Amino acid sequence: MTPFLSGFMITLLFVGGVYFVAVLERCSMTGNVSWSGPARSFLLLFAQEEIKTRKHDKVFFETAPILFIGVILLTISILPFSRGSVVIDLGTGALFINAALVYIMVALLMAGWAVNGVYAMVGGWRALAQLIAYSMPVVMALTATVMRAESMFLTDIVESQQSLWNILYQPVGFILFYISALAIAFLPPFDLPVAEGELAGGVWADLTGARKLLFRLGRLALVLTLSVAVVVLYLGGWMGPWLPGFVWTFLKTLLVAASFFAVGHFIPRIRHDHLLEYNWKYGVPLALYNIFQVGVVLLL
Amino acid sequence: MAPLTQYLLLLGMGITTAGLVWMLYLIKQSLGQTLDEPGKDIPAESGNLAPKPAWLRYHVHYYGYALLFLAFDMEMAYMYPWAVVYREVGILALLDMGVFLMILFLGLIYTWTQLGLKRQ
Repeated sequence: MTPFLSGFMITLLFVGGVYFVAVLERCSMTGNVSWSGPARSFLLLFAQEEIKTRKHDKVFFETAPILFIGVILLTISILPFSRGSVVIDLGTGALFINAALVYIMVALLMAGWAVNGVYAMVGGWRALAQLIAYSMPVVMALTATVMRAESMFLTDIVESQQSLWNILYQPVGFILFYISALAIAFLPPFDLPVAEGELAGGVWADLTGARKLLFRLGRLALVLTLSVAVVVLYLGGWMGPWLPGFVWTFLKTLLVAASFFAVGHFIPRIRHDHLLEYNWKYGVPLALYNIFQVGVVLLL
Repeated sequence: MAPLTQYLLLLGMGITTAGLVWMLYLIKQSLGQTLDEPGKDIPAESGNLAPKPAWLRYHVHYYGYALLFLAFDMEMAYMYPWAVVYREVGILALLDMGVFLMILFLGLIYTWTQLGLKRQ
């Protein structure tokens, strides 16, 4: 495939993916499928008045949304959609995913600080707590996939799943990564920084107009990014019979994204001290066990 | 693709994103001014008009986890290169990292016994 066609396909998949994720998100909240819903939400936020709170932090107020959407776009650009068609095939791909997604916490903390409101600030501190909780399991789960592939290239990680997908090879790692992905994207069971019920919107409580639009759009892209990451790392990426690689990646991604929203629909929000406690008491030992198990199986 | 080109692409993507966002801000600005009404710029606080700033000293009750996180995060820096060469080096790599991880894991257990793994 020529680079031009490949780039076109990636852009199309990305934009289409974000649109489908938006439809899925609405569906998980309202219960009915609305194809025009995302467009209406977009226009609403685009036309909304820009309210700047009094005594806000000027630098953080302007840069937090840029940082948020920027790191997400950088992350999705290194994920392979199909064999030989990846925008940027970094030699440190698996590490880059983790390193870039840490900045989501930074952006949330900046946005929470910037508006100088109490609810937003508490949401920002909670975002930091959430990072401390999920970071270790996600890094260790990534390491186990790197061990099997003997390479940090994401394309190599997909190729290493030729005989058996990682979801069956390291099921513990998959479960940890899946749950951590929900926490990274602050989706409903772990939506502590933007909790609607307790913090009236938390970090997003005082954002309107363009900044809210960027955060909403960024979160949709983030869900798409993490779905693609789950597919690439654990579900065999573009592999599948009959259909071309692009189609398989897209179908698997939508399935994973739908499952993300379904989990959030049925599980109540977890308390933030419980999140920290469970992750360090059970998540980290399980992640270490996962590394040990993969290590022993690799040597056999 | 040469590695340098890839990092240039990454840089370009970052700059492009920032530029697009700036354009969005400019478009919104050009749409016109809004009315400046009293009380509009008060942050959401359930109807209270408390004049205090939100930038107070906050009790970060998860500091114990944060310290533990630092120790584990340093260890992860060693894990990535180790994971790449793991199959080549074989059983020796498993033992080396096993001892290292066991010491860290004992630290986690110790913190647990000292009731460090709960809300302070």
